Amino acid sequence: MRDPITGLLFVLPMLVLFLVFRFVPSLGAGAMSLTDMSLGGEWNFIGAENYARLFDDPKFWDSLWITLLYVAIYVPLTVVAALATALLLNAVVFMRGFFRGMLFLPYVTSFVMAGVIWRWIYEFDGLINGLLGKLDVGPIGFLEDSALVLPALAVVSVWKGFGYSMLILLAGLKAIPASYLEAATVDGAGPWQRFRRITLPLLKPALFFVLVIETIGAFQTFDTIYVMTGGGPARASYTLIYGLYDQGFKFSNLGYAATFGVVLFALVLVVSLIQRRLLDRGNA
Amino acid sequence: MTLTATRPATTKAKPSAKPRRKPFRWPLWVLLALVSAITVSPFVVMFVVALSPPGSPTLPVQWPESLSLKTITDLLSASGFLGWTVNTVIYSVVSVVIILLTASMAGYAFAKKRFPGRDAMMWAFLATFMVPFQATLIPMFVLVSQLGGVDTFWGLIVPTLANSQAVFLMRQFIRDLPDELFEAAKVDGASEWRIYWQIVLPLTKPILATLGVFVFLWHWNDFLWPLVMAQSDEVRTLTVGLASLRTEGAPLAHLMGSAALSVLPCLLVFALLQRYLVNSISMTGLK
Repeated sequence: MRDPITGLLFVLPMLVLFLVFRFVPSLGAGAMSLTDMSLGGEWNFIGAENYARLFDDPKFWDSLWITLLYVAIYVPLTVVAALATALLLNAVVFMRGFFRGMLFLPYVTSFVMAGVIWRWIYEFDGLINGLLGKLDVGPIGFLEDSALVLPALAVVSVWKGFGYSMLILLAGLKAIPASYLEAATVDGAGPWQRFRRITLPLLKPALFFVLVIETIGAFQTFDTIYVMTGGGPARASYTLIYGLYDQGFKFSNLGYAATFGVVLFALVLVVSLIQRRLLDRGNA
Repeated sequence: MTLTATRPATTKAKPSAKPRRKPFRWPLWVLLALVSAITVSPFVVMFVVALSPPGSPTLPVQWPESLSLKTITDLLSASGFLGWTVNTVIYSVVSVVIILLTASMAGYAFAKKRFPGRDAMMWAFLATFMVPFQATLIPMFVLVSQLGGVDTFWGLIVPTLANSQAVFLMRQFIRDLPDELFEAAKVDGASEWRIYWQIVLPLTKPILATLGVFVFLWHWNDFLWPLVMAQSDEVRTLTVGLASLRTEGAPLAHLMGSAALSVLPCLLVFALLQRYLVNSISMTGLK
């Protein structure tokens, strides 16, 4: 139906919201990173000075490294958890719906709640160390040890979020025709061969989707870090986003904080492009 | 608020012959039961600590000998917690209503109307998927504070309404509705607004319900934006309040009690609409 005025009128409310609160801030992030704006709002144009400062700042490189390390720990962990539980759910019939619900439950809750519970689970006088104490083991400072803090945080995010990827993978598994697997069985393929040669290749699109979603999500982790460690111990969990928040709202360096945002955007963009390239090659 | 990518079409399963009944594989069943139990255990310990009588031994030393609602009633009679709950309800419910309205209107126009710049606009909406919310946090904050919106409900709510996932989902759904329906209504002399109100909205009820649940959960659980926007108790939401209790070192029972109360609406939504949530994730990849 050709009806330019009504069409525009119906889009208008959302269009205005988008222009003001998505496009302006997206461009604004780039623009602000070229200023020395502070919380008061005064600003001067300072060119690429923020970027020079950023690349000279060892704390920035540390936070970049910690972010990448966190992503490298979190993504495999969550994909394996999601795939393993999806395979289990696909193999079991009795009480399947109930188990699926239990596994999915944390997804509907908040990262803040997850952080509050798990902080206590990890504490010296918390749940795990309480149980270890009964066995005369420990205590282990999960959140106090620089080497343990990132895996500990990753576990919390995996717990909170793997249910989503599990459902995507489960849908992918259900879409694999049973006849393929039966034919392979008749041909003498064992369980591992069936998984490796049939299930895994056919699951590739779903796995890829999960990988992209989880990687992008991992770069944006903030809530659990804020609630559980505050970037510590000794900045061992001080990620890019945490740096952005810290610079912006603790030190009032809004221009410099925007620079962190631009770097984050660039990182997410690069990761998405690499993954898309890999997918295209995989399909060729 | 999250990013999403294009969902691969894995769910359109070809109807194959009804698979034979799978044998009961008890080792896998036991393993699954174990993993499920571990997954829900943090909720169990949260409720146990929250319901332990104050002052008596509880986890991790031992299971409490009795349960009491003392901590919960204490929390509910203190003003802070109830205020945060009311604020969170406002934040979530107002956002759901406005997003459902504006996204279905935009989705209808994108799906069924032709107007100049339509495709460019749709692509621009989709392109904002690529910009992580956190990357625009600082300019959003500056923008809203210039407009005088810091620590107000509108400053908290309005910037979160620009939701491209919602628009895209509505567009996909409405596009599949038959054109004849709208043409017939038009021939009968119905106004555009009436067509939207009496045809589009009723026909999109299932997808509106799904979207509504997701938008509710996104807002109820949202943290970073309310953290920077809602600085006083007048506007502060539950997640921000809960985080402040944690960082200010509130007693464990209060922490767990607040966490438990804050999650109850999510558990309720889950209990009532689990099948719905599960299906929409499997079908659309909505996150």
